[in-house]
Amino acid sequence: MIDTTAFGAAVALLAGSLDAWIWVVPGLLIGLLFGALPGISVSMAMALVLPATLYMEFLPAIIFLTSVYTGAGFGGSIPAVLINIPGTSSAVATTFDGYPMARQGKHNEALGAALFASCIGVLISYIVLLLLVQPMAEIVLRIGPYEMAAIGIWGMVLLGSIGASSVAKGLFAAGLGVLFGMVGMNTAGYMRGDMGIVWLLDGIPTIPAMVGLLAASQLFALVNAKFIVESEAERSISLRRILAGGAMVLRNPVTLLRGSAIGVFVGAVPGIGSSIANLLSYGETRRNAQDPESFGKGDVRGVIAAESANSSSEGGSMATMLALGIPGGGATAILLAAFAMHNVVGGPRFMEESRDVVYAIILSNFAQAAILVVVGTLFVYGASTLVRLPLRYLIPSVLVMSTMGAFAIEGSIAGPITLFVFAVLGWLLSRYGFPVAAVVVGLLLGRLIETEMLRAWQLAGGDPWYVLNYPWALAIVGLMLVSLGLSVRRDMRKRRLAAARS
Amino acid sequence: MTEGLTRRKIAWTELGFVTAIAAGVLAFLIEARGVSLDPQNLLLLQPTAWLVLGLWAVLAFGCLTRRVPAGEAPRETAADVLRILALVLAFGLFTAGLEQVGYDVAICAFVLVALVIGGERHPAALLLFPPLFTLAVIQGFRLLIPYPFPTSVL
Repeated sequence: MIDTTAFGAAVALLAGSLDAWIWVVPGLLIGLLFGALPGISVSMAMALVLPATLYMEFLPAIIFLTSVYTGAGFGGSIPAVLINIPGTSSAVATTFDGYPMARQGKHNEALGAALFASCIGVLISYIVLLLLVQPMAEIVLRIGPYEMAAIGIWGMVLLGSIGASSVAKGLFAAGLGVLFGMVGMNTAGYMRGDMGIVWLLDGIPTIPAMVGLLAASQLFALVNAKFIVESEAERSISLRRILAGGAMVLRNPVTLLRGSAIGVFVGAVPGIGSSIANLLSYGETRRNAQDPESFGKGDVRGVIAAESANSSSEGGSMATMLALGIPGGGATAILLAAFAMHNVVGGPRFMEESRDVVYAIILSNFAQAAILVVVGTLFVYGASTLVRLPLRYLIPSVLVMSTMGAFAIEGSIAGPITLFVFAVLGWLLSRYGFPVAAVVVGLLLGRLIETEMLRAWQLAGGDPWYVLNYPWALAIVGLMLVSLGLSVRRDMRKRRLAAARS
Repeated sequence: MTEGLTRRKIAWTELGFVTAIAAGVLAFLIEARGVSLDPQNLLLLQPTAWLVLGLWAVLAFGCLTRRVPAGEAPRETAADVLRILALVLAFGLFTAGLEQVGYDVAICAFVLVALVIGGERHPAALLLFPPLFTLAVIQGFRLLIPYPFPTSVL
């Protein structure tokens, strides 16, 4: 489990190096700032500061970059809560309840809950990493297309009808999202729905589409309002209420631990990680709640579930990176690039030969999570002033920033065009009572499910019974069906009770 | 036609909207089937498209038989809807104009128009905010992103 000699050496390494510490606060602040800017992703923030680490020692360089990673991981939740913009796909589920909370004047509590859930999520994920880095990495290697397809379908089933006024509308929106996710060339080489537009061959640009659907569409609808929070009394920015939001996290330990566990294990899977972990955690929390109908309307448990999962996925992706040398996403790929810049190769040999450095990185992340509580609280306090800005200024500013962010991600006009098209679509969908969130979930999971189903189909040579060779995939589907059955039974019992009372 | 406290009101705009989406989905399915009938092309696409088209029938029926409480007031006034449509139009023109007139001019013009749509009438705010905001955005993004974007003035 823990190599005590290496652990002692790691403590000595951190205690004797001032350089390892002075970059933590600047790293967190850079991460928070870039994470909070719509369209600037975690990996983009890390790529921007990567050259600055060239002349640092190896350990301070990695600590600086992981500080940016930790800060940006939480920073994305600030626009998600305040203006319904998920800066990255890992903050999508934060918008589901965070933004309704902000609209109700509970922005302080929502941001406080997001911050504390993030910090504790990071902390839990690194504790798991410290104890289970090697076995976790080995489990990840066993996850194949069948298991991935099962995880994707699980996410879709959990969230397909989120926020819908009717089941038909929820399924219609989710199906539409899945179809959007399949536009372009699939992994078998077939090109569909690209309408002859070259940039659609790679599929619909996900982040601009997501920002358009969730945020820009909301901003159109807000043009007739004066402020995000209608009541002047509720527009206050209060440190006490931010901390009260943090206390809500401690009052929901099951939600927090469930989110962190999902985040760590799903986050460790290369390629999807945090983008699906936050959705699964949110969906599971909603399914397990006594009052699932309160989700999507400003339930703090939704924020805690999403934020604990997306933050703890950082530890998960670090596990695959450190133990196997496989980058789970853009951020860990940049960390590996930083390793290479210092002539270090991540992977099993690095784990074996430099265990003290690995422990030092993990320990410094404990400290980062603790420091983020303070730095993040101050940052949130400043960022909350957004709710005091009149919407006539906020709407054009956010639309322009989102458009520029969409351009920054795609590097071409494809980003802004996608943003506009999906903004209009999102506005029309929400106007007629369709759940926009279900389209986003479909868009995110549609391509993943199709890709993994195709791989499974190719492995099986078209034989559907081949799935019997994959007991873990069957177990995931089985668990999903059992939990769905239990939810349906609980709902029916609730309805019967309500009918008997009336 | 009224029955009790409700009256039947066909939701034409919603019906038009879901029908347009269903037509798009049908076109997507036909195009995909035209590309290839190989299961590797249609494995997930075809069942999902059929599901959406089936749901369209359910939703269209719901639009045709909708009942609303008699005397229910509309959620928004015509002026509210017009203001939203004006913003959508301005945003569309802004997106279309980015590469044509330059990012700086497009941003400045869009912010000015959106301020007016939002109800800002103070001349100093209308004169100062759009150019200052444009300057900050253009210079900020020039520092942040590695690829160039066309501008006319800045």
